[in-house]
Amino acid sequence: MEDIHISGFKDEYMQPTVDFVEATGECCISGESFMEETGVFYSPLVEWVKAYAKRHQKIDFAFSLTYYNTSTSKWLLAILKELREMEKAGGQVAVTWHYTPDDTDMRDDIMDYMVDTGLKIDLVPFSE
Amino acid sequence: MEKIDDKYDFSLYEYHNLLQQNILVSYKGPIDERIMNVIGENIELVTNDGNDKAKSKIFKIFMELAQNVWLYSAESLSTASGRKLGMGTLVIGEFGDAYTFVTGNVVRNTDIEPVIEKCEIINSLDRDSLREYRREQRRLAGTKKNSGNIGLIQVALTAESPLDIELTPVSDEESFFSIAVKIKKTGR
Repeated sequence: MEDIHISGFKDEYMQPTVDFVEATGECCISGESFMEETGVFYSPLVEWVKAYAKRHQKIDFAFSLTYYNTSTSKWLLAILKELREMEKAGGQVAVTWHYTPDDTDMRDDIMDYMVDTGLKIDLVPFSE
Repeated sequence: MEKIDDKYDFSLYEYHNLLQQNILVSYKGPIDERIMNVIGENIELVTNDGNDKAKSKIFKIFMELAQNVWLYSAESLSTASGRKLGMGTLVIGEFGDAYTFVTGNVVRNTDIEPVIEKCEIINSLDRDSLREYRREQRRLAGTKKNSGNIGLIQVALTAESPLDIELTPVSDEESFFSIAVKIKKTGR
């Protein structure tokens, strides 16, 4: 499987930066997310995680998004569900989520993702 | 200089004056990502009295509600490339210690009934129940495309205020539907 490297941009649409590296198991989605076809962007990412989980035992996943719309939020849940499946199958899964310290709405949302998936997510505020 | 007789059937001066009162931004017309980008950036400029949190809240609410108008308005334009752009009105106002964000568009009566029911459920729930409702709806939606309803839950959670909805009939089949929310300038 090939690593995924996508450069983000913030224009009329906002595309996050994605770096998924198979050799190290280090994966990161960062930036902002608002796009016309959310599924076209995110479904290959979900598929990558699924395929990765079949070959490896360890993953280190970091979310570093400052804004995502609700359409994106459904796909983030889909990724988290795959990570949870990997953990249930005995994998070592570490998930970190960076957020703006005063963004309590996003913090609530991340807490809700934990309830939904049963995954433990390390909440790390961005340092100012 | 010759005057244009049929220029407007209303006074632009009166219209301007009406907008002078507490209105920071108003837009009427087709909505797409370009319009959203321009207005989204202007929100930062016009909401100087609010703290960063209030600005970020208005931006998030604007993104969800403007997109709903774009996708679900019964009045729309089609571009040369065949894209459908919903038409509607967006207004950002400032009243004392709060901002208000209002969107309005024409809807088919048959389409709007379930949306109104959703809004009524949303308005009946406290914050914790609303979060639970969002989790449930997100779970049910999976990765399906239509997420307008989760958007409305998100708007109520972000605004920390109810969705003030109004439906005004314009014909037997259609009504003008508006949603207003209030965002405190110094939020939680």
